[in-house]
Amino acid sequence: MKKHLLALAVLLAALGMVIPAQAADKTLNVFIWSEYLPDEVVADFTRETGIKVKLTTYESNETMYAKIKMLGGKGYDIVVPSAEYVSRMAAEDLLAPIDKGRLPNLTNLDDTFRNLSYDPDNGHSVPYMWGTTGIAVNTDLVPEGQITGYADLWNPALAGRLLLPDDMRTTLGMALKVLGYSTNDTDPAHIEQAYLRAKSLYPAVKVFDSDSPKQALLNREVTVAVLWSGEAYVANDENDKIVYVFPKEGVNRWVDNLCIPKNAANAESAHAFINYLLRPEVAAKISQEMGYATPNKAAMPLLPAEIRDNPIIYPPADRLTGSEFETDLGSAQRIYEQYWSRLKTGR
Amino acid sequence: MKDRSLFKALAVTLTVGWLAVFVIVPNLLTLATGFLTRGEPEFVLPVLTFDNYARLFDPAFFDIFLDSVWLALCTTVLCLLVGYPFAYILARLTPARRRLGLLFVIIPFWTNSLIRTYALIAILNVNGLFNAALLWLGIVSEPVELLYTNTAVFIGFTYTLLPFMILPLYASIEKLDHRLIEAARDLGAGSFQTFFRVGLPLTLPGIIAGSMLVFLPALSMFYVPDILGGAKSLLVGNFIRNQFLVARDWPFGAAASVLLTVVMGLLLYVYWLCHKRVRRAEPA
Amino acid sequence: MKRMVKAVYLGTVYLFLYLPLAVLTIYSFNDAKHVVTWKGFTTRWYVKLAENSVLLDAAVNSLLLAAASATAATIIGTLAAIALKRYRFTGRTILSTSMYVVMMSPDIVMGISLLMLFVLMGLPLGFTTLFLSHVTFCLPFVTVTVLARLTGLDGNLAEAAMDLGAREFEVFSRIILPLAMPGVLAGWLLSFTLSLDDVIISFFVTGPTFEILPLKIYSMVRLGVKPEVNALCAVMFGVTLAVVSLTQLCFKERK
Repeated sequence: MKKHLLALAVLLAALGMVIPAQAADKTLNVFIWSEYLPDEVVADFTRETGIKVKLTTYESNETMYAKIKMLGGKGYDIVVPSAEYVSRMAAEDLLAPIDKGRLPNLTNLDDTFRNLSYDPDNGHSVPYMWGTTGIAVNTDLVPEGQITGYADLWNPALAGRLLLPDDMRTTLGMALKVLGYSTNDTDPAHIEQAYLRAKSLYPAVKVFDSDSPKQALLNREVTVAVLWSGEAYVANDENDKIVYVFPKEGVNRWVDNLCIPKNAANAESAHAFINYLLRPEVAAKISQEMGYATPNKAAMPLLPAEIRDNPIIYPPADRLTGSEFETDLGSAQRIYEQYWSRLKTGR
Repeated sequence: MKDRSLFKALAVTLTVGWLAVFVIVPNLLTLATGFLTRGEPEFVLPVLTFDNYARLFDPAFFDIFLDSVWLALCTTVLCLLVGYPFAYILARLTPARRRLGLLFVIIPFWTNSLIRTYALIAILNVNGLFNAALLWLGIVSEPVELLYTNTAVFIGFTYTLLPFMILPLYASIEKLDHRLIEAARDLGAGSFQTFFRVGLPLTLPGIIAGSMLVFLPALSMFYVPDILGGAKSLLVGNFIRNQFLVARDWPFGAAASVLLTVVMGLLLYVYWLCHKRVRRAEPA
Repeated sequence: MKRMVKAVYLGTVYLFLYLPLAVLTIYSFNDAKHVVTWKGFTTRWYVKLAENSVLLDAAVNSLLLAAASATAATIIGTLAAIALKRYRFTGRTILSTSMYVVMMSPDIVMGISLLMLFVLMGLPLGFTTLFLSHVTFCLPFVTVTVLARLTGLDGNLAEAAMDLGAREFEVFSRIILPLAMPGVLAGWLLSFTLSLDDVIISFFVTGPTFEILPLKIYSMVRLGVKPEVNALCAVMFGVTLAVVSLTQLCFKERK
């Protein structure tokens, strides 16, 4: 019997040694959108710096925000909120200041992406990638030209063939656009109208997915999807019958940003990582792989022509006229959330 | 004697203490949170309210609950209908075959249930095996839409939970004293009568145990609707998860989970009643 | 004829249980990146899987967690079984009631109640919280297994030992434990598998610093039909099949 107890003690002791040893390693906990950072980039970073990267993913800003709040900004070293969540989280003191002295590569950024309204002097955020929200259509199954804007999604012929993202701002924003309002409208009456409009579309939706909508498109489970440009790019690359439509109601643009949560344990490694991602060749690689646009000016010349000139990733200027950035909703956020929760429960 | 009390004190303190801290306290905490108010910067404000429990009967939630119970119930019934004859046949095989047969029921149960759920995608999608078979057999001319429907969720639950039904059923059928069945037959009971008057009542504990093991997870396994239902067939499990991890409404989520605990309590009570009856009926 | 019907019935159910896993295994050799149609044979997804260090780390973490929590659950669960069997004490009802609660509670209820407890206690989510939760949900299964074994034993042995002057700990370590050992081992094995299999409770109490395999698979599976996931699932299915058959063979030979 003693032998068993001894074995047990040894096992426990061994466990005790393994766990702190892991924690003592140089690690970096990155919390990022799914399908948003190529494995290769992470591997290269680890090879170069010896910092081990642990990647955890989320599928919506709301999920990320709930988790960061719950943990009090502890545990993660990098998060990648969209613009409107940057201002929100900064206001709630959930983000650590960015030490620009540690980011020499910051100069690579395009001036138009610096000091944007959601974070006036880039005190808490560094733009990571930007893109648009639009509609992907499988023209094998739906005639080209039939869908030109969000309003066309209500066409009964599409019932049961639609995919929408599992994302509050995109869904309600789309309905607001159809009604002719801004995607950042804060008027409760308008939001309610948008909610009702979105709700009338819900029975026609087959899947809600913001993780990987391209899968359902490619497997022909759905024929029309509202999605982010990068997903559309990959789907189009795989099957050129799948085209990307810029909705005629106006395009939504968004910027996702690298931020460091307030109580991040590895702020130094986090800065090293951000600086690494700002390298022109790295930024170019990410843009090429993920199909989103980089705000990194120095990276542009390094991109292959077919990426740089791809209208899905880098839309020509005329496509972006009248485009809007999503901004923080302030106190209207709560109203959005209430309607969103009702939409999700389908009532 | 002092030594006995020392060992006893250690064993009792450790076990009772552990369960008190990690079972009793969290459950009371959930119950209490249900009476508090949702807060903005913090998650919960210490303001007493009955709102959250009242909201459970609001159609917005109650319909979800009913849908969920209905789906779980259908799953349980199907598992029972498929599992009972299966367990019965299995329990009557030769011991060596029985062992092997049981082993092959248990193997998928030991494979992560996520993987089993995921495996169903390959079968159920438009180009999947199921549709290919239907088309080939000429039963349908157009592929049937299965993936991302409630039917897919139903199939997913049945598939992942069937072993949980078979195992307790098997245990109670195997224990069944075959002489009782024979006695019933000798006394002139038909096989129908024998089953409903003797076999069924005696295996009732197994039926209820299996039903609970299927019904309760079917209420809470949120990943099955996520993967197979296109994230839109919202069940209680998904609802509670969303309250905690998306909507940040802890009190409401807590209230909803208390409701699940109440359902569990009721089922346990039924089980206990049946168990008592069967024990009394069994020959000593 | 009747035998035929029975055999066909068993066969159909087994087919239902195994077909999806078989199809998945076949697809893991499909040479297509995003689509589910067959595009030729390849083993490259297995190569890619082997190179995926994140996944392998998660697998190691899962095994560590399962071993640690199964061990702790076995110790506490065995003590609980002995306490329930041999002693009368205040809190006995708490003990047996909470065992039932744990065994039957829907996972999601346990997940969120533990999450609230940990957040309230200010424990950082990660290995510690996963460990505490896994021990808790494995514990009653150990107790039940050990208790079943103890019930079948002769209580007089312990009494005799006490009469002969053995101290309580000696009775425990020399008599009860060796006799209960098969139950204890079975309890450990059961806990180990339960811990490896859990998705829902871990989903809530996990933290950024300690990723375990089921949750990694969950996030991969949500991303849809990725051939590496197929390969991973095929490997896990193969490993389960091998382990279960092996243990079965070993037990058989011992008998």
